[in-house]
Amino acid sequence: MTAAAAADATLPKGTARDPFSSAWRRRLPLLPALLYVVAITQLPFLVSIYYSFTNLKDKTQSLIPEPTRYVGIDNYKQIFSDPFFRQAMWTSVKMTVLAVVLSLLVGTMFAILLDRTFLGRGLIRTLLITPFLLMPVVAALIWKQQMFSSLFGVLNKALNFLGFNSVAFISDHPLASIVTVLVWQWTPFMMLIMLAGLQSQPADILEAANVDGASSFGIFRQLTLPHLRRYLELGALLGSIYIVQAFDAIDVMTGGGPGSTNVPYYVYQESIGGGFRYGSASAYAIVVVIFSIVIATFALRVLSSLFRDEDRA
Amino acid sequence: MQNRWTGSVRRRRTLGVALTVAVAAIATSFVAAASGGGSRQKTISVAIVANPQMQDIARLTPSLFTKKTGIKVKYTILDEGRLRQVTTRDVGSGGKAFDAVMIGPYEAPQFGSAGLIKDLTSMAKSDKAYRYQDLIPAVRNALSAKGHLYASPFYGESSFLMYRKDVLRKNGIKLPLHPTWQRVAQVARKINSSSMAGICLRGKPGWGDLGASFTTVLNTFGGTWWSAKSNGKPDKAQVNQPAFKTALDFYAKLVQDAGEKDAANSSFNECLSQYQAGKVAMWYDATVAAGVLEASDSPVKGKNGFAFAPHYKTPSTGWLWTWALAIPRSSPDPADAWTYIAWATGPQYLKAAGSRVKGGWASIPPGTRVSTYRIPQYKRAAKSFAGITLAAMKAAPITHPGTTKRPGLPGVQYVGIPQFQDVGNRCTQLFSAVIAGSIKDTAALSQCQNIASKAIR
Repeated sequence: MTAAAAADATLPKGTARDPFSSAWRRRLPLLPALLYVVAITQLPFLVSIYYSFTNLKDKTQSLIPEPTRYVGIDNYKQIFSDPFFRQAMWTSVKMTVLAVVLSLLVGTMFAILLDRTFLGRGLIRTLLITPFLLMPVVAALIWKQQMFSSLFGVLNKALNFLGFNSVAFISDHPLASIVTVLVWQWTPFMMLIMLAGLQSQPADILEAANVDGASSFGIFRQLTLPHLRRYLELGALLGSIYIVQAFDAIDVMTGGGPGSTNVPYYVYQESIGGGFRYGSASAYAIVVVIFSIVIATFALRVLSSLFRDEDRA
Repeated sequence: MQNRWTGSVRRRRTLGVALTVAVAAIATSFVAAASGGGSRQKTISVAIVANPQMQDIARLTPSLFTKKTGIKVKYTILDEGRLRQVTTRDVGSGGKAFDAVMIGPYEAPQFGSAGLIKDLTSMAKSDKAYRYQDLIPAVRNALSAKGHLYASPFYGESSFLMYRKDVLRKNGIKLPLHPTWQRVAQVARKINSSSMAGICLRGKPGWGDLGASFTTVLNTFGGTWWSAKSNGKPDKAQVNQPAFKTALDFYAKLVQDAGEKDAANSSFNECLSQYQAGKVAMWYDATVAAGVLEASDSPVKGKNGFAFAPHYKTPSTGWLWTWALAIPRSSPDPADAWTYIAWATGPQYLKAAGSRVKGGWASIPPGTRVSTYRIPQYKRAAKSFAGITLAAMKAAPITHPGTTKRPGLPGVQYVGIPQFQDVGNRCTQLFSAVIAGSIKDTAALSQCQNIASKAIR
């Protein structure tokens, strides 16, 4: 132990709030980083809030540039009368729920598989994690060009081989195609969380149940599943936070359109993706932030309850 | 304790030295990059569209341009839709990412009048080797506003119908030089088979993709996106009018009945590869495709017939487009950018490219200069399509594309107002879904009417 840490341990606990206490002196070096984070994340956000009350447009969007005006809450009122925003919301909900539930299901199954010992487990685990390590754009491109393509896609080659007609997956089923890619990418993430849950299960209880003659399905239902509940919640919430912002797959595979434009993509279309109406796009973005904060609050609550349980154990 | 203390000080000191060295190294590398880029080797950044002729010039630039001028060219090659987003964003925000960008007659007059790109007129006129007067007038006018040239054309095109002569002959069909859409649809349905689709029509969302092909059909079916006020401003969205529905239904039905596979994902490049692979018998698209189909390395060379863009209620319907290079107002190095543009779009490149590009003379960038059509080697290689290309470009009805007055600046396959980019993109997403069969035409039209009327409010 170094001298400084030893000195710190002798300090009474109550003095930690004093700004000149050693606890604060140790935090001080973090301050530049904190200020930097505030400057690059919160200031732009404040500017977006300001923009959301104006009719700011890109200079390329009018032959005679109009001056930017304050428009009050017009942009916000417009959100609720905009059928495309409602459509995008609905798509977001469907996309997120489907992707999260499916990847959680598949992830749990893989986790249960990996929880056993078998020959080559390390290799299988690495292979199963790989999709998560791929850049989302690359994953979407691979799926679009090599799997779904109706001209040279593997899936259609297989269908033709079995005597079926080709299916234009992405054009005919845009949402299902995107969800497939999202599930493929996020299953490893869920699998890792569920694996952590499974491996934190006390072995003695399982052994006791075994000795008492419980069936393996019974053990899973009565013991493992309740134990996994918190991990399932955590996976679902973290997954939702990430998948709700899905953008790459949509941009690469369909470029938007009915059934595949979710809220982030719609905000992009309204702003730098072609609409160049920064005022109303800012308003959309802020509504999205509010929704995300609500979800994130739930996520944090679950996380903290998880740690509280850990402490008790 | 004493030993450990001095040890940690020494360690800290080494760490400090290492940090200083690292920071210094990073700083000097920045300085070196900045000065090295400026003085010894000049570099310009250019954004171009990913079509065959542009890929050729990107390959030839080091040997034909950089060697002579010492200016290195860094290309960013993007597909049409993405190029538009990138250039509009960069030009509009005064970004410094590009010294030259590739735009078309939709953007050039609009950006030019708004003062977002440089006026090239004086540079073009004073540069003897560039030969300003040699530019095809229709193309030059399309890239100008009030007599000022804002972009220099790299290639120019109209649209027409390409077809496999051998396939039509086998079916006992002869197409006239000026076919109607009804006749083309009838032929497409007749020759359509499971191994070869009747016709390839663009179905990929994007105003310059599906939007371009469809708008030429819309024009000749008597429809329009917006009506115009007498002062040229857009008046009311016309997407809910019967003519619009007739045109959309005709287009979507034709693609569904006799079109290419996965039409909702197909545009110029996809149709090109399907036509070359013998998977479609006819193809309505840009005239510039002919150069690729008749190139010396093309699998369908010599098998192609060409007809003017199909018509219905208007006599000529072909579009006018040109991919042209412009200098953003914020370009860090406009003089070098012009040196590059004058070379890339000048008559010398066309002559030099003919013997160097893979496809031979037929595949040099067409439709920009009168002199191109006087090069003997080009005349020989492009015999089957050079004449009809030039005639189609001259006939392109850019001031009166349809049956009614259009708002904004002149244009055939687009409406010359800034809002069209967004409206065209979002509506073609809906129309593409109609072609794929995932939504109904009536639903798409009412949503598109909503988009189009909101945009001009």
